[in-house]
Amino acid sequence: MVDTLLSGQLLFAALVSGSLYALVALGLNLVYGTLRLLNIAHGDLVMIGAYVAFWLFTLWAVPPLVALVLAAVLCAGLGWAVYAGLFRRMLAKPALAKRVEANSLILFYGISVILQNAAALAFTASPRAYRWLDTVITWGGVSMTLNRLLTLGVAAGICFGVLAFLRFHLFGWGLRAVIQRKDAAQVVGVNIERVQLITICAGFAVAGMAGVLVSMTEQITPFMGFPFTIVAFVVIIVGGLGNIGAGVLAGFALGLVETYGIALTSAGYRSILIYGIFVGVLMLRPEGLFTKAVRT
Amino acid sequence: MTLLEVRHITKRFGGIVALNDVSLSVAKGEILGLMGANGAGKTTLFSVIAGHAAPTSGEVLFKGQRLTGLSPARICRQGICRTFQIVRPMAGLSVAENVRVAALYGAHALRGAQVGARVAEALAAVGLADQRDTLAGALTLSGQKRLEIARALATGAELVMLDEVMAGLNPTEIAAMLDTLSSLRRDRGLTFVIVEHVIGALMTLSDRILVLHHGEEIASGTPQEIGRNAQVAEVYFG
Amino acid sequence: MSALWPLAGIALALLGVAAPFGGNAYATGIAFQVAMWIALAQSWSMLSATTGYISLGHAVFYGIGGYVAVLMVDAAPFPAVMLVAALAPAVFAAVVGLPVLRVRGPYFVILTYGLAELVRHVVMRIESALGSFGRMIFSAPSPDALLWWMVGLAVAATLGAWAVRHSRFGAGLAAIREDEIAAETLGVPTARLKLLALIASATIPGAVGALAMMRTGYFEPGQAFDPVVSFTIVTMALVGGTDSVRGPILGAIGFALLSEALWSNFPQLYMIVLGAALIGFVLFVPQGLSGVLDRKGGRA
Repeated sequence: MVDTLLSGQLLFAALVSGSLYALVALGLNLVYGTLRLLNIAHGDLVMIGAYVAFWLFTLWAVPPLVALVLAAVLCAGLGWAVYAGLFRRMLAKPALAKRVEANSLILFYGISVILQNAAALAFTASPRAYRWLDTVITWGGVSMTLNRLLTLGVAAGICFGVLAFLRFHLFGWGLRAVIQRKDAAQVVGVNIERVQLITICAGFAVAGMAGVLVSMTEQITPFMGFPFTIVAFVVIIVGGLGNIGAGVLAGFALGLVETYGIALTSAGYRSILIYGIFVGVLMLRPEGLFTKAVRT
Repeated sequence: MTLLEVRHITKRFGGIVALNDVSLSVAKGEILGLMGANGAGKTTLFSVIAGHAAPTSGEVLFKGQRLTGLSPARICRQGICRTFQIVRPMAGLSVAENVRVAALYGAHALRGAQVGARVAEALAAVGLADQRDTLAGALTLSGQKRLEIARALATGAELVMLDEVMAGLNPTEIAAMLDTLSSLRRDRGLTFVIVEHVIGALMTLSDRILVLHHGEEIASGTPQEIGRNAQVAEVYFG
Repeated sequence: MSALWPLAGIALALLGVAAPFGGNAYATGIAFQVAMWIALAQSWSMLSATTGYISLGHAVFYGIGGYVAVLMVDAAPFPAVMLVAALAPAVFAAVVGLPVLRVRGPYFVILTYGLAELVRHVVMRIESALGSFGRMIFSAPSPDALLWWMVGLAVAATLGAWAVRHSRFGAGLAAIREDEIAAETLGVPTARLKLLALIASATIPGAVGALAMMRTGYFEPGQAFDPVVSFTIVTMALVGGTDSVRGPILGAIGFALLSEALWSNFPQLYMIVLGAALIGFVLFVPQGLSGVLDRKGGRA
């Protein structure tokens, strides 16, 4: 038992899950931070990305690395549609914005149900998978498949790329300004609507790319997305809503907790572990995380 | 008779000391004015008394009983009600429904026919009687400030704490509000603690004034004494 | 106009009770579904329409009620089974209520969902540890008796929701919905009232869950705690309208009939319609069907 826990094998598995969680949560956090919308349909974009990769690979042998780009474009387009079609007018009017924020979760749940069932209608509910780059290599005593190594590299690369962009590019400054003080950002000349639109597209695109990575190693079903949504919620609640950098760290941390937690018990406890952490975090720290101290 | 007694209240938010060893007492039927610049700690003091914020140290007594640690709802039922500087109308309910909640759940927790009578009386006292069926969210700011007072009255509170009920009102509305408050005190013997930036109004209404600066008391006395106080003048007018 | 609503409600209840006498099992089935969703949506409204704390986890109460009923139905008289099925989720609500109800807004919504999923996975784990992969029910009452029980629950939930709205309790809950801080300043014991509303809202769904399991004749935890139940309740109530007691009835009837038309052959399509209706009504018709009807009635 102790040997298993100390093995590089387990650490590698934890890092792979952690990088995916960080990536999925990054997208959710971007959208929450700038639009104050809790996108419960976020995991369904992972599902869409996974199907894009699956069909491109199965039908035309397009390698998943190319699918990464196409899934990103498709999900960004969906982000644009959701923003322009549902939220733009609402968010622009303060009275309506209040209502939309309160109801955003219900709205996105509706979107989630539609996406899942549309996928089930189009592709049936049967699980799908494909094999690509599943050669095992051994490196420093740790055996790993190339596609997992690639997952870790690409996911971590995108996470840290986005973080660097937010820190060093002018747009990133504007975005962080919107996250912190929307009204003040507007005063100093940040184009809020443009920032929101770009962010929702970027957030959706990141989730789509995560889906492509997931598809390389896991089964694809229309209902695979929801666990990712929950994981992403756990990550950004622990890391702090709107706090992009801490969210990435929390993503890796959750991957570690989950992988080692399962190693200590059994795979049957995975959902209980994830939902347990989720419920516990929300119940124990609601005031510190969500509501400002009342000082009126 | 001493109604409210605040003993050595200190309140820290992280490293910031919002209130530092503040004590005061208010006698029944008295109007105590609180003065001080923004950030002096007036609203924090209200929050501590009303139970919205727990003091770091010190205690609050009402009619000799300790309030510190009770929930805002319990404190209201003891007979203290506050209003909010940034008004909090229950926007989706009518004016009368807002006041009805206070009558049902406040210090008197009325039932049956008494509720309607209390609502009508409270609305009449602040001049909102003919807007009873308007949605609270549709009232003017002046109307919403009056609604805050009407709700406080309907709870049956003996001590009402008014947080800047004049702010944002025009001179006519201020004059009307002054009339309202004076008659409430005269006719009902209510006790008030008032925070007000409109200095003239504060001077007119208050029996005594306490001046806070950076969370500490720097002066207290009758309005005349405060008007002559050099330190207050310095803090206020540089 | 408004005097007709209670009459329509009584007629509906009588229709439900009379359904088996047509001799058509299909009619009994539809009546059962309609009554079930009315009972669930009304119960949900006791918490969520009154306080604005939107629960997306009512399947947990339904599932708990179904689970305890299945465990005891072969060994206890049926009324006792129903009583325990109603009390078990109420006890659960009382235990988790205080910490859960400290969480507000969208976080409350997602928390209720997560909590329901947590319980679902725990029950699935328990059942598989016991070596059970679904339990058959052998001593269920007849479909007709189940229908009459269900109509009774629908009537009870409707009367309960009406009573809550028109009571001092309901006035306090409305104050919480409008402004929780203002409410407690006026003496409303917010934590206690929210907890009571949650308990009231959890009770009947437990009994409904018990009847639903009896009707299908088997229990499988993944299905008994299906989040689709929670989602359907919310959609029915929001589409029907949350400002009055008749809203959830309208929503429940509409979707129960739609479900009959679509669910068996096109389940995905039904879910898509549900999702689209939810989005459309939340964004564009927040007052719901009953609000639209009221406005029309007012103009006429």
